[in-house]
Amino acid sequence: MRYRLREWWRRFEGTFRSGDDSETEEELRFHLEMAEQDALRRGEDPRHARLREGGIAQAAEAVRDRRSIGWLADFVRDGRHGARLLRRSPVFSLAAIVSLALAIGANTAIFTLMDAVILRMMPVHEPGRLVQFGRDLSYPLFRHFRHELRCFTDMFAHTSMGRPDVVIDDEPEPAAVEFVSGNYYSVLGVSAFAGQTFDPAIDRNPAAVAVISHAYWKRRFGLDPAVIGRSFRWNDRAFRIIGIASPEFHGVVPGKTPEITLPVSIAGEVLDSPAWLTSDSRRWLQVMGRLGDGHTVETAQAEVAAVYAGVVEAEARNTGGNEFQKQRVLAQRMPLEASGNGFDFLRFRFAGPLRLLMGVVAMILLIACANLANLLLGRAASRRREIAVRLALGAGRGRVLRQMLAEGMLLSAAAGVLGVLLAWWLAGTLITTMSNGGDRIALNSRPDLRVLAFAVFITMTACLLFSLAPALQAARQGIQPALAEARSGARWRWGRALIAAQVAISVVLVIGAGLFGRTLLRLYSIETGFERDNVTLISVKAGHALRDPILESLRSMPGVTSASFEMSPLGFKGWEASALVEGYTYGPNEDEQVHISFIAEDYFRTLRTPVLSGREFTKWDTAASPKVVVVNEAFARRFFQGRSPLGKSVRFKGETGRYEIAGLAKDIRSRSLVGSIPATVYINAAQASSPPTGVFMVRGTGIAPLVNPALKRVDTRLQAADVRTLEENLSRSILNERLLGALSGLFGALALILVSVGVYGVMAFQVARRQKEIGVRMALGARPAQVVAMVLAETAVPVGAGVAAGVAGALALTGLAEKMLHGLSPADPATFAGASLLLMLVAALAAYAPSRRAARLSPVETLRCE
Amino acid sequence: MSNEQKAGVLQGTLDLMILQTLATLGPLHGYAIGARIEQVSSGAIQLNMGTLYPGLLRLEQRGFVRAQWGRTETNRRARYYSVTAAGRRQLETEKTEWARMTAIMQAMLEGAE
Repeated sequence: MRYRLREWWRRFEGTFRSGDDSETEEELRFHLEMAEQDALRRGEDPRHARLREGGIAQAAEAVRDRRSIGWLADFVRDGRHGARLLRRSPVFSLAAIVSLALAIGANTAIFTLMDAVILRMMPVHEPGRLVQFGRDLSYPLFRHFRHELRCFTDMFAHTSMGRPDVVIDDEPEPAAVEFVSGNYYSVLGVSAFAGQTFDPAIDRNPAAVAVISHAYWKRRFGLDPAVIGRSFRWNDRAFRIIGIASPEFHGVVPGKTPEITLPVSIAGEVLDSPAWLTSDSRRWLQVMGRLGDGHTVETAQAEVAAVYAGVVEAEARNTGGNEFQKQRVLAQRMPLEASGNGFDFLRFRFAGPLRLLMGVVAMILLIACANLANLLLGRAASRRREIAVRLALGAGRGRVLRQMLAEGMLLSAAAGVLGVLLAWWLAGTLITTMSNGGDRIALNSRPDLRVLAFAVFITMTACLLFSLAPALQAARQGIQPALAEARSGARWRWGRALIAAQVAISVVLVIGAGLFGRTLLRLYSIETGFERDNVTLISVKAGHALRDPILESLRSMPGVTSASFEMSPLGFKGWEASALVEGYTYGPNEDEQVHISFIAEDYFRTLRTPVLSGREFTKWDTAASPKVVVVNEAFARRFFQGRSPLGKSVRFKGETGRYEIAGLAKDIRSRSLVGSIPATVYINAAQASSPPTGVFMVRGTGIAPLVNPALKRVDTRLQAADVRTLEENLSRSILNERLLGALSGLFGALALILVSVGVYGVMAFQVARRQKEIGVRMALGARPAQVVAMVLAETAVPVGAGVAAGVAGALALTGLAEKMLHGLSPADPATFAGASLLLMLVAALAAYAPSRRAARLSPVETLRCE
Repeated sequence: MSNEQKAGVLQGTLDLMILQTLATLGPLHGYAIGARIEQVSSGAIQLNMGTLYPGLLRLEQRGFVRAQWGRTETNRRARYYSVTAAGRRQLETEKTEWARMTAIMQAMLEGAE
């Protein structure tokens, strides 16, 4: 059958060549001459020979059919023809391609992010068999599960240590460090790119070794092969690098690639407390299991629930008498989730906004398609003569239809290519913006095969959507050519429907943009309880003992009015504890948790937060003096119903010490601009039992460049890990809102541009069609202003219908985004009214240009041109 | 034979006839191939141009014949077809197959009498 293949290949080649026709004709002419000569020789009429042989044209056609692949040849011809037509009207082509490219680009970019965050599977062995535990586990609990459960072939644990300073060649530099169980790489099926990964036995024989990621190897070591066997220091311990992980592996949390992985079994020594491995209360490990044969997430869930019930019961027995706490413990569940695409902090954080944006860009695509259908329809109308001629010359309707489709195909192919380039850039920019939240997000913005498939899919859909209508209309034409005038009326109906649809969709998008924009403005102007200007946050890794000297040094910087300290890393949500408040008895089902914040003296003075009664901490409050706390208004409202809390005492469960309330401060939003303010107890950092690290805050101007010199004065080894303003920190807390605000604004503007192109196109055509009528009107005395008014009034009907439909649609849709609006009504009247007005204004402007042209027409000329 | 019937016979056998003609007589132009087939079949098979030339092109695309421009005895430019090595192999296969089929048909028809 090889010759068959060869035949098809030759025919395929023949499709793209057109030079052989003359040779065929020469050959056929020769054949006919020979036949005639033979006939003469035999004494016959040469015309008989001609009759018998058939015509040259027919034979040549038969040969041509054989030489090429018929439909493909038609397609190539259509393509060439289409390209010629597009080149002939470059403005039209450019407008069409650019607007479709913008829509496709926006769709592909958002899809790239969706794909990276939600859809893409991890590049590990059988990711579909991985299941994640919905809650963090302690090391003993992890081992307990691993020992008891039969549904998993194996389970592994990992946990991020953030980005601590790692010392390589005496140079400290932050790196993403994770502790992992010894079987992490083997269960995931990730091999070493060089060296080796961990031996699972390392769980029993702890060793100070590390496996680094390929990306880190590239970034920090410049792909130096000699890195295996080198050492680095972290927490005053030396670790030896034993391997580099495979380059495709990016960790099990989308966007968070561990740069250095260490065996969790050594955590006890490295973190200065064996409790990390022995205490049941340190739930710090994220756990995944690989399902065994014949097990599903559901069967595994049942087994996990059974094992966990035993654990919970044991824990409930230790809660003492509090029934609420006991019920709380017993109510604990251990949910499982299929996790082929990794642990999902990103999904949790961005999935909602991304789905919303996906809907928005789909609407943009619809508008762009409607525009193109409209433009192509206009062209089809102006090409009526050409099409009529082609039909008259015997072209089949199907051929004409395919030819129109080919033109649409070319347009969308060009737009598709541009769109993918645009998407590449846009997705990269978005990922940078998302990473601005303080977490480094290492998502891949390069469109891969799936993204390309998606782009091809929407391009083809777009092509079909916008070229089908005009193509059908073009092919139908010719059935009754006499009805040309009536059909352009049909076209006007089409045009009106398109205007109405586009306006409706744009109204929805602009309302969405308005709502998110207003939400953002409200968040920026929200009452925070402190003055956010001129406060700089400095995070330093320094021992407890250095805190006061550092504060002294910072206060001595020029331009500093006050300085304080809060024991909480940036972006940390804070601690909670069960509080026992003097004079307050909990109901049986009441939550005992309050928020705890460890602060130094001058905290409220630095933030310029009013202390309503009592006092804040001073430097006379020390570890040795009586223990005092400050509470916020939310705390006072909850436990004292507005009576003064001063002088009352507070105790915390699990602690013996008693604190006296010395001050009442105004509620503040120092961490996040969204959400409610919790009842909070401020504890003096100097009196805290186990002081954690934290962040220094300084009020003053021109601080940033002075920070490191000030730190060096305390200790030459000190260095700031992060310096940012409070303002920046706050805007990071509303990252989603900013992202939605910016993108919905961008897409809303895009929708407005596209809709004005659409309205302009339809009205320009309408004016051209009615030239004669307008000429008659003006000859009869209509003034130009009346003509303009007439055209505008004609536009008003579809625009009005579109606005009405859009408002109704928005009312139905914006409710879905209610949670992201933080209290702004999804039916905010001002936004709805503003968006409707804006749309009408834009439509009027777009219709004004054609109406002016109509008004400028000279009546005599328009009548003459018939 | 009507044209329809002729087409049916030709479908499978035209290739074989052309290849056999070229293998026997060496390079020929299209008209000579048609004339030779007509002559051998005593006028029973008359190929018109619309059948002959697509058939030749098909054989050429399959690599069984090669076409080259040459000169006739009267110094006219004409395209000459000759059989390739692959064409000869194909001819042998087809011939064997054809002989087998006719033997079977022969036996069938004689046995049925």
